[in-house]
Amino acid sequence: MIENFILGSASLFGDSTTIAIFIFGVLGGMLFGAIPGVSMLTLAAILLPFTASLDPAQGVMLFAVIYCTGTYGGAITAILFNIPGAPENAPTAFDGYPMTRNGQSGKAVGAAVLCSAIGGLSSAIVMMAATEPLANWAISNIGPPEIFALVFFGLAVASSVGGRTIWKGWMSVLLGLIVATIGQDPVGGINRYNFGYSDLAAGIAFVPAILGFFAVSEIFVQAEKKAIGKYEAPKMSVKFPTILELWAQKIAVVRSIFVGFFCGILPGIGATLAAFMGYGEAVRWSKNKESFGKGNIEGVISSETANNAATGAAMIPLLALGLPGGALTAMMVAVFQMHDLEPGPMVFYNSPELIWIVFSAMFYANLSILFIGLIETKTILYLLKIPFQFLAPMILLLASIGSYIGRGLVLDVMVMFIAGVIGFLLRRSGYSIPGIVLGIILGKIGEQNFAQGMQMVHYDILEYLSRPICLLLIVAGFLTLLIGVYRALSYSMKS
Amino acid sequence: MIKNNLKSLGRISLAIMFIISMANVAISFECKVKKSSMGKPSGFPSRALTMIVPYGPAGGSGQIAAAMAEAVTSLTGVSINRDHKPGGSGTVGMTAYMSAPSDGYTVLEHIDDASSAHALDSSRPNPAVDLIPLVISQVTFSQIYIRTNETRYNDWKSFVKWVKAQNGKSTIANVSKEGSMERVTMKFITEAAGIKIQQISFDKGAPRYGALLGGQVDALFEQPGDVRKFLDAKKFKPILTVFNERPGVFGNVPTHKEMGMNFEPLLRFRGFYVHANAPSDRVKWLQWAFQRGYCQNSYQKFNESKFMTVIDSYRDTAGARDLIRASIIQYRNVYKEMGLNVK
Repeated sequence: MIENFILGSASLFGDSTTIAIFIFGVLGGMLFGAIPGVSMLTLAAILLPFTASLDPAQGVMLFAVIYCTGTYGGAITAILFNIPGAPENAPTAFDGYPMTRNGQSGKAVGAAVLCSAIGGLSSAIVMMAATEPLANWAISNIGPPEIFALVFFGLAVASSVGGRTIWKGWMSVLLGLIVATIGQDPVGGINRYNFGYSDLAAGIAFVPAILGFFAVSEIFVQAEKKAIGKYEAPKMSVKFPTILELWAQKIAVVRSIFVGFFCGILPGIGATLAAFMGYGEAVRWSKNKESFGKGNIEGVISSETANNAATGAAMIPLLALGLPGGALTAMMVAVFQMHDLEPGPMVFYNSPELIWIVFSAMFYANLSILFIGLIETKTILYLLKIPFQFLAPMILLLASIGSYIGRGLVLDVMVMFIAGVIGFLLRRSGYSIPGIVLGIILGKIGEQNFAQGMQMVHYDILEYLSRPICLLLIVAGFLTLLIGVYRALSYSMKS
Repeated sequence: MIKNNLKSLGRISLAIMFIISMANVAISFECKVKKSSMGKPSGFPSRALTMIVPYGPAGGSGQIAAAMAEAVTSLTGVSINRDHKPGGSGTVGMTAYMSAPSDGYTVLEHIDDASSAHALDSSRPNPAVDLIPLVISQVTFSQIYIRTNETRYNDWKSFVKWVKAQNGKSTIANVSKEGSMERVTMKFITEAAGIKIQQISFDKGAPRYGALLGGQVDALFEQPGDVRKFLDAKKFKPILTVFNERPGVFGNVPTHKEMGMNFEPLLRFRGFYVHANAPSDRVKWLQWAFQRGYCQNSYQKFNESKFMTVIDSYRDTAGARDLIRASIIQYRNVYKEMGLNVK
């Protein structure tokens, strides 16, 4: 492995064009990841035709690098302005933005930079060491029944986040789940709740919903404060987390690496579920659950470690089996095909040099996150100095463009503003915005896998529970819900 | 009696249309458009074209759209911007296209889903009437695959025997949405073979193929181009071809007819369209550009990589209309038999 890694590194840095492409990928991924709506996928789609003129290794490497740095890029706007650059950065905003409001923006961004790099580097190392056996294990042992159980467990854990009471947390998740049912059902393709409006047949897109619930509702909240004279500009802080503070989070980091890696390795799942599950696990294991959603650095660390840990893991089914884990890895398949190559088992035998250039590039891209992130962070933090009256319209404009650009539908801009208004009203009543977003995103994944899982076990619940991973996760999910109820009842009896 | 006669007439006309659409099953490639250049009618197009693609950039439609756009651009020098509008099995993209100006500057990529959608609900656009097919550039058949290292069965006959022994507990992965080509074809197969098999719908390719690779399902219904890498790597093995004759490269795989299943196969086809009321001189130029684009080396290379040269993948406007009409009639008949609410 070491020898191959050195050879891959030598090929990567032994050619000036390859170096230029690598640097372009690192910076482009960070930039497009940070701008809401205009995600790393946008950049990848723009670049796709141009990769035909590149060497195959350069083309695949470029996409792999964009994947690593793009996943990190969205964390910055999530933390500073409550605008997640992509769905996988949404849990970062749950605690990252409250940290900014509490004057701890430097700590939040610093933690995100460091943990993104740690998550990405760890998964890159595991990817280099054990791609083929891990891919085979994942597809043999984890199918739709297990993925649904995982989603159920994640929802059970995270429903306790952000609501004023546990009941409001649950209601928020349920609202998200209801919104997720809009559009064609994932099995029969039957239209639901689209009221004859064909654009709704595809359901509510994630990006406009996230931008509305987070960014637009936040602008309304701050505008209200401004109107009644209670507005306080976020205090800018360039103070990074201390080594001691980070060391205290070592367990959260290791746990999120495992969670992110596990989610990333599953075909079709990817970094979004990883980030939500990483965050949910942080809440579950915390002794101070109430602090989540209010500016707990562990929330930022868990989410950012997990989503970047998923990037290396997602390359495993892609390269070993030809199964992409998400949209960007699916585009990588097209890059392979443009050069008459197919990702899959044969690529290790036919093009080992390509594989090791890509592995090395991903390793160095994650390292770049650390260095470029730490150098640039202090400059980025100065964005907080922009007065609210200028910042708010800029964010609204950016969010509107971000909502529209994904599918080119005015409907998505309308969804964003409606979500903003609903989010604003629900926040006043103590409902959980993270819970709603979680319900929307995990609801779609969960419903599809539930339907497929039920078909696989022939609608026999005992057969479903005879699968050990399913049993474990479903029991753990119900226990989590029961413990939540017990705590809520004890609290209300005491008070 | 009148009803029976009408039914027979319908079947005969259907068979004739299919014979027409399948008549030129040829493997060797010959460009059917002889003109290598064509003057722009009144300067059209004077700017880039927009191609609405109702699916994501990474799937089959996204890839064919990219390949055809590249071929047309290299041929004509006219850029084509691809606008992906995924969702609702192509409904979102089709709706967006129908509301776009019909000036010829916006074209549409679509698959046979547009025909089946119209067959089920005639208020949906009919691709042979409301649109003008510029070219259908991919036509392919379906197959049933098992894992190469499968030990429980190794061909269609042993598979059928095994499925029957499972008493309805065997599984097959496909895109089994209501009225889809996959579900309709599976209905034909299960009825003809007398088997009961649980269809599991995966709308994305990766989890679908992963389900077979990992042994989560027992078989897979798919088109060969989409699983070529698994065939080349000898991970998947076809055990049944749903086509009237054995295509050369799958010469050792029996067809459904050989296995005693007497139904007309439904084909998967992808093509490019323009509004029916676009100016006729512009339509002619677009027809030439897209039909000639099919002949470009880059596009032929792309089609070859997708097993799309195994049977004749090319239909000009008239051929495309025949194929679409035949498909609509066949889908509509099947939907009625299935008891679906055909509007």
